[in-house]
Amino acid sequence: MKKFWALFFFFWPTVAIISCLIAPSRGWWFPSAPMSRTGIQIDGLFYLILIIVSITFVGTQYALGYALWMGATKDSASRAHFSHGSHKLEIIWTIVPSFILVFISLSQLDVLAEIRVISKFPEQATKIAEVTARQFEWRIRYPKPGEKLTTEENPGDLYYVNELHVPTGKPVIINLRTQDVQHAFFSPQLRVKQDAVPGLVIPVWFDVLEVGNYDLVCAELCGWGHYKMKARIVAQSQSSVDKYLKELEAEQNEDGTKSEAAKSDE
Amino acid sequence: MSLTPSLKPLALAGLLSAVAAIGGCSDSAFESSFAYSEGTLSLVREAREGTKANPGVKKLLDDRFGDPQQLKAWEKMPIDFGGALTSVAEVKQSESGSQVVKLTVEEGQSLPAKAGTVHFMTGACEGETVQVAQWNAKTGEATLAAISGNEIAAGDSCVIDRGAGLSTGRMLYMRHCSHCHGTSGDGNGPTARYMTPKPRDYRNGVFKFKSTNDMSKASRDDLSRIVKYGIPGTYMPSFLLMKDDEHHAIIEYVRFLSMRGEYERKLVAELSSDYSQTAYESRVESGEKKAEILQELDEFLAEDLKESAGSLGDDLAETWTTADTEEAAIVPSVPREANTPESRRRGRELYLSKTLNCADCHGIDGAGNGPQTIAFEKNPAKGDELYNEPGLHDIWDNLNQPRNLQLGMYRGGRRPIDLFSRIHAGIQGSRMPSFKNTPHEDIWHIVNYVLSIPFETEPGATGVAPSAAEAVAVPAAVTVPVAE
Ligand code: HEC
Ligand code: HEC
Ligand SMILES: [Cu+2]
Repeated sequence: MKKFWALFFFFWPTVAIISCLIAPSRGWWFPSAPMSRTGIQIDGLFYLILIIVSITFVGTQYALGYALWMGATKDSASRAHFSHGSHKLEIIWTIVPSFILVFISLSQLDVLAEIRVISKFPEQATKIAEVTARQFEWRIRYPKPGEKLTTEENPGDLYYVNELHVPTGKPVIINLRTQDVQHAFFSPQLRVKQDAVPGLVIPVWFDVLEVGNYDLVCAELCGWGHYKMKARIVAQSQSSVDKYLKELEAEQNEDGTKSEAAKSDE
Repeated sequence: MSLTPSLKPLALAGLLSAVAAIGGCSDSAFESSFAYSEGTLSLVREAREGTKANPGVKKLLDDRFGDPQQLKAWEKMPIDFGGALTSVAEVKQSESGSQVVKLTVEEGQSLPAKAGTVHFMTGACEGETVQVAQWNAKTGEATLAAISGNEIAAGDSCVIDRGAGLSTGRMLYMRHCSHCHGTSGDGNGPTARYMTPKPRDYRNGVFKFKSTNDMSKASRDDLSRIVKYGIPGTYMPSFLLMKDDEHHAIIEYVRFLSMRGEYERKLVAELSSDYSQTAYESRVESGEKKAEILQELDEFLAEDLKESAGSLGDDLAETWTTADTEEAAIVPSVPREANTPESRRRGRELYLSKTLNCADCHGIDGAGNGPQTIAFEKNPAKGDELYNEPGLHDIWDNLNQPRNLQLGMYRGGRRPIDLFSRIHAGIQGSRMPSFKNTPHEDIWHIVNYVLSIPFETEPGATGVAPSAAEAVAVPAAVTVPVAE
C-alpha cells in the first residue's frame, strides 16, 4: 500500500508530461490556431508559462514521489530522522520562484502594452465600428462609408446587430461600450478579450489574419442570458467589407419604393 | 492519509451527479400544456367544458390546435406545418399483403431520411393520414401500416410527416422564447414579470412593428425581421445566428400560437355576453330558471357555435393570408422626400400642428414627455375610474410611454420605410395612432424630421448644424393643448 501511494504520485506528473507533449499538435489547448497577430504572441506567452509551470509541477511531484518511495522501501525498524529545516534551502526556494515570476511579468510587458496601451496601438489602425454590448446581444454601429467613426452618433451611421464585418490583414480598432452592466468582448479564435465597462468607451485593436467567420461571445457573467450572448465576426477582404457596407447603407435608406421600381426594372 | 481512499469514491460520485444534473436538460423538461385564457375561464362550466352532447370552448379549441405534446395541424390555417411534399408514383402490394406506395419528390429536392406518416392532399384519400410501417429513403417506398379504405392512386400528392415543422418550431420556441413569451404565447413566461415593456402576448393577434396596414396582421416577413434583429430598447433579443430552417419553423410556430389564441378569443366572444359566470348569475337573479338557461346554452352549442366554429376559422385564416399579400402592404405612393433642411422644417411644422399633434404625446422637443404623459387616463375596464399612475396605457393595460425620439432608438427599425410604416399605420396595441389619412409627402417630411431629432442642437434646429438664418425661421414657441 505504501508503494502504491508513491507510484500514485509518480503517475500524475507522467500523465502531465505526456499530455503537455501531445496537446499542441492535437489542438487541445486552444479552439483554433491564433487568427490574429497578437494572438500568436499571446499563444507564445502561454506556451512559455506552460513550460515553466510544467517543469515546476513535474519536478516537485517527482520529488514528492521519490520521498514517498524512499520511505516506503525503508525497512520498518529504522527510525525517522527529524531535521529542523534549512535556512539555505528556504532562501533558495524563495529567490528562485521570485526570479521566475519577475521574468514572466517582464517578458509579457511588451505584448500587454501592445494590446492595451493606446499610445502603442499600430499607427495605421483604423476605427471601423462601435460595438455596444447589452443584455443579451451585440449592437454594432459603423460610420457612414467614407466618414470617420466618432464617439457620438452621426446621421448616416450604419447599424446592425450580432454580426461584425472586419477587413483582414490590417489592424482595426473597435470602440467597445456597454448599455447596461459589465460584459466582455471575447473572440476565442482571435484571442481578443476586453471587458466592457459602463460609462467607458474602450478601444480594442486586432488584426485578423485569415478570411472566415469567428465567434464573438460574452466573457463576463452578465445575467441569465449571458450564455446566449453570441455574435459572429465576419472577416473579409477590404473590398468585400466595403461592398457589405454599401449594401447595408442601401438597405438602411430603404424607402419602400425603390425596391419596387427595381423589381419592375428586372 | 487513511481517510483519502474512502473519501475518493464519494467525491467522484458527487462530481458525477453534478454533471448529470447539468447535462440532464432534455426536451422532456418542457412537457407542459397550453393554458386557457381568462376569457375561457370566466365562462360557466357547461360553456367551457361542454354539455353531455355538445363540445364546449376547450374541446373545440383542443380539437383544432392540440396541446404542446400533441400539436394538431388545422388544415384551414395558413401555416406551413412542415413535412416533405411528395407524390405517389406507384402503388404495390408487398409479399406480406401490406400496401406499398412509391413516393417521388420534385426534381432538386430529396426524400427525407425518416418517415413516420403520410398525409394525402389529393385523390380519394384526401385528408387522411396513414402511419408508415417501413420506409426506404433510397427508393422512396413506404410500407403503410394500415390499408386505407379508399383507393390510393398514382399521381396523388401527399406530405411525409406533415406537422414536423410545427413540432420543430415548438421545440425551438420552448428553448429560446417560452421563458419570456410563455408556453401558450400569453407573454407571461417566468422571466416576463421583470420586464417593461412586457413580452408580446401573441393571443391577441396584435403585433406592433409591421409593414402592413393598420387593420392587417403582421406578415411573415415582419415577424422574421423582429426575430432576426430583435427590438432595441426592449428585452426582445436578436436571434440573427439562428439557422434559416429553424428561423422559419419558429416563425410558423409563433403564428400558430397567435391563431390559437385568437380563435379562443373569438369562441369566447360568441358566448361571453350570455354565458359568462357573471352573466349567468345576473340572469338567474333576474328570475330566469337555471335549467332553462343551460338548456338554451346546450342548443346554442349544438347549433350556433358549431356553425361559427368553422366560419370563425375561415375569417381568421383569411386575415392572416391577406397579411402576406400586396393588398396589405404599405407602399408609399411617392419616394422619400430629399432630406433637406426645408423638408425637416416642414416635418417639424407638421409634428407640432394641431391636426397631427405628435407633440401632445412625444413632447415639443421629442423627449417623449408630452402633456398626455402626465394626464391621468380613464381605465376602460373599470368604467369611469382613473388609473393610479399618469400616462397612456396600451391594450395590455400596461403603461405605454411615448418614445423618446431624441435617443435615435427605433424599436421597429430605423429604415425610412420603417418609420413611414409606423406613422402611416400607427403601432397596433400601443397608443401610437395611425396617420393613414396624412398625405405620403407629409409623412416623409415628418420622417426626415424625426430622424434628425437626435442630432438637433436645440429643439427645432432641424438637424445638423443649421445656419443661423434657418434656425430663426422655425416656429419656436407653440402652444400645445393640455389634455384634461
Ligand atoms: C428576454 C425576453 C424575450 C425573449 C427570450 C424573446 N422575446 Fe420576443 N419579445 C420580448 C419583449 C419584451 C417584446 C415586446 C417589445 C415591445 O413591446 O416593444 C417581444 C416581442 C416579440 C414579438 C412582437 C413584435 C411585434 O412586432 O409586435 C415577436 C414576434 C417576438 N417577440 C418573437 C419572439 C421569438 C420568436 C422569440 C424566440 C426565438 C422571442 N421573441 C424571444 C421579449 C423576449
Ligand atoms: C396619443 C399619443 C401619440 C401620438 C399623438 C403620437 N405618438 Fe408616436 N408613439 C406613441 C407611443 C405610446 C409610442 C410607443 C409605442 C410602443 O412601442 O409601445 C410611440 C412611438 C413612436 C415612434 C417610435 C417608433 C419605433 O420604431 O420605435 C415614432 C417614430 C413616433 N411615435 C412618431 C410619432 C409621430 C411622428 C407622431 C405624429 C405624426 C406621433 N408619433 C404621434 C404615442 C403617440
Ligand atoms: Cu454579456
